[in-house]
Amino acid sequence: MHRTIRSVAALIACLVCASAIAAAQYRAKDTEWPTYTADLAGTRYRPLDQINASNFSQLEVAWRFKTDSLGNRPEYKLEGTPLMVNGVLYATAGSRRAVVALDAETGELMWVHGEREGKRGAAAPRQLSGRGLAYWSDGKLERILYVTPGYRLICLDAKTGGIVSSFGSGGAVDLKQNDDQEILPDITTGEIGYQSAPVVAGDTVIIGASFREGMTPKSMRNNKGYVRGFDVRTGKRLWIFHTIPKRGEPGYDTWLDGSAEYTGNTGVWTQISVDEQLGLAYLPVESPTGDYYGGHRPGNNLYGESLVCVDLKTGQRKWHRQLVHHPLWDMDISSAPLLADINVNGRPVKAVAQPSKQGFLYVFDRETGKDVWPMEERPVEKGTVPGEWYAPTQPFPTRPPAYSRNGVTIDDLIDFTPALRAQAQSIVSKYKLGPVFTPPVESKVGGPLATLTLGTASGGTNWPGGSYDPETHTAYLFACNACLTPIGMVASPKEVSDMRYIAGTAGQEVRIRTGPGENAGADAPKPARAPQTPGGGAGGASGFTPLNIDGLPLIKPPYGTITAINLDRGEIVWQIAHGETPDVIRNHPALKGMNLPRTGQSTYNVGTLVTKTLVIAGEAQVTTTSEHPRGAMLRAYDKTNGKEVGAVFLPAPQSGSPMTYMVNGKQYIVVAVSGGAYSGEYIAFTLPSPEQ
Amino acid sequence: MRVRHGKTIGLVAAMLGGFLLLALYGASAGQEQSAPEARSVWDGAYTEAQAKRGEELYRKHCASCHGAMLTGGETASPLTGGAFLSNWNGLPLDELFERIRRSMPQDKPGKLNRQTNADILAYVLSVNKFPAGKSELPTQGEWLRQIKFETNKPNEKK
Repeated sequence: MHRTIRSVAALIACLVCASAIAAAQYRAKDTEWPTYTADLAGTRYRPLDQINASNFSQLEVAWRFKTDSLGNRPEYKLEGTPLMVNGVLYATAGSRRAVVALDAETGELMWVHGEREGKRGAAAPRQLSGRGLAYWSDGKLERILYVTPGYRLICLDAKTGGIVSSFGSGGAVDLKQNDDQEILPDITTGEIGYQSAPVVAGDTVIIGASFREGMTPKSMRNNKGYVRGFDVRTGKRLWIFHTIPKRGEPGYDTWLDGSAEYTGNTGVWTQISVDEQLGLAYLPVESPTGDYYGGHRPGNNLYGESLVCVDLKTGQRKWHRQLVHHPLWDMDISSAPLLADINVNGRPVKAVAQPSKQGFLYVFDRETGKDVWPMEERPVEKGTVPGEWYAPTQPFPTRPPAYSRNGVTIDDLIDFTPALRAQAQSIVSKYKLGPVFTPPVESKVGGPLATLTLGTASGGTNWPGGSYDPETHTAYLFACNACLTPIGMVASPKEVSDMRYIAGTAGQEVRIRTGPGENAGADAPKPARAPQTPGGGAGGASGFTPLNIDGLPLIKPPYGTITAINLDRGEIVWQIAHGETPDVIRNHPALKGMNLPRTGQSTYNVGTLVTKTLVIAGEAQVTTTSEHPRGAMLRAYDKTNGKEVGAVFLPAPQSGSPMTYMVNGKQYIVVAVSGGAYSGEYIAFTLPSPEQ
Repeated sequence: MRVRHGKTIGLVAAMLGGFLLLALYGASAGQEQSAPEARSVWDGAYTEAQAKRGEELYRKHCASCHGAMLTGGETASPLTGGAFLSNWNGLPLDELFERIRRSMPQDKPGKLNRQTNADILAYVLSVNKFPAGKSELPTQGEWLRQIKFETNKPNEKK
């Protein structure tokens, strides 16, 4: 008797357990797009095929949603990717970072929510509309979660847009509090924020942190970018992961001279991926304070520029891989890790593949963190910037090969004509060149002015990240192949920064990257002045030579590429130039009569979408050609070979990554466009209806 | 028919000419600014002194994000080179001016006055190797609208 009761109780407990698990995890359909990257594995993949090679070019605009009124001014940098669940599209938009719910079929506005944050919003390090939001449902309740510019996590009822007052305090969690640190100088103006979409896995919502750009920090001290998990129902903090270890935690000793105490940043500002079955979350961590100068943080600096795997429920670290030791190049781990179940030499591997600014795709076993293909620690050049600490080696993947340029040599320079090559050589003669991990230099008027780098601050692959096709085990990665970043260091005057060196160019006034309201008042310190460059005026009134030749890039094509990499073999399957040849090149007098293959475009903010048969990506620059008026194209490629199979016109550059879904039997593609004179707009494409 | 047609054309032309004269007169009498001499950014749309002022202002308000060499940063787009030039090619200059005026600088959008914006734009034009001229870049939209942003020198076009 006793026993029976017990076993019945156990059975009931089990059933409750199972139903709780089922309820806690909303099972999205293939026709929906329930998270920023389509799923928690970062894939941007949906197995839809109504829109395919045979009809892509016939796509028509189904609806447009202009975002100008969602804030006190129009926004020209709409980077969002919407979600679509149950026929409703959810997105962040506008300079207010409002949340909108739209009818996925018609674009009709169903509700809108905005938070007026006053001074706190105005002081935010990452403003504007952000990249997106998160959806959660237990099968009954439906919730939308997003982070405001002022770093508050807001929970809304997905049906009405109303605040869920039982969440946090009155529907919001103040993310500047309960963060195992005091956000300085105060809650209102303290520098910390988040512009990516929250990730919800099970009943845990994970939030990272971002800061101002770190080229010229005003101090070696800053707030730290810890990662936290919260209960999606209550907003209660479940765990925190210290991206800079606290005293007594493993990794603390990788910060010499106690530098872990005051160094900040080192946040996760981009998308986090989660394997719900393994119960593991994958955190791509950015650079510590001082993108280009680490003299105040000697040591390898864990977990700066590392991929860290933590337990989804506790935040406990399972494993980590530091991709760059003692970061000096702004190689933030910049995009969602791709979770891929692959077969390597006949052995199934649950892998994680991390695209990067430096054009390496790092592939690890995602359960253990071990190499899938051997990583090699290779010696790298030691630099000479005073006070800097240099890591003697850096990790290099032996497979797959780099998929975009990550160093600069003479051979990478423009070579349309010998004269142009000679001009380029003359310009770069004032710079230090070298392969990946060539250290920054102290900028000198007589040269070198800076180290010329590719695959650093811009990438390579930046925040839009890649796509992954789980059917063919192929990753698709857009990368900038010509985003030149000169990295020169100048001694910082004390009134500008307490760092010994910050980014700058010899002969030019040293200025700090200012925040809202900073240095605006009459009492603000005057910046130090340095003598003008001798012979100023070479470039009109300017005192320097631009890093281009009459608008032509110094680097030769392709300027931007999409690469398909098979992850079973770690091999590049195909690589194409993505993007129409820019007008300045197509119409350039120096290139008249030359028949140039498509060059692609030098930009780092192109996101891709992969479907059953296509890889889809828009252009991030406008062109005017004989085929189309001023605008950009949304292009579709055969995913097996990279051959272009169709294109449709966009009135402005793609500025947010495309997504797709089906409603009432029709497939849609939605993409954010903005830039130049064109303010933010979501555009939905679908196929023409058959004639009645 | 033909004769009448011709007369009509003549009349319209005369009227148009009159309007044009009036418009020109109105412009010079009613506005402090004179009509720009430049028709495109290749005709000397700003002065060297203005660009010099603009350089100071650029350093103060823009360089922290767009870079000392206008190459852009992690979040700010470049203001020189192919991407920038393609973005504005073929548009009247007031579009670029208005974009800067309304949305920049990011920490206090719309807070810089027209003269400051014009000076900064003059500097950006100078860095992009568009030639300086005798008159300053105007600050009024209607005047700026008369100046076309063209990537390639008109007479060098294919």
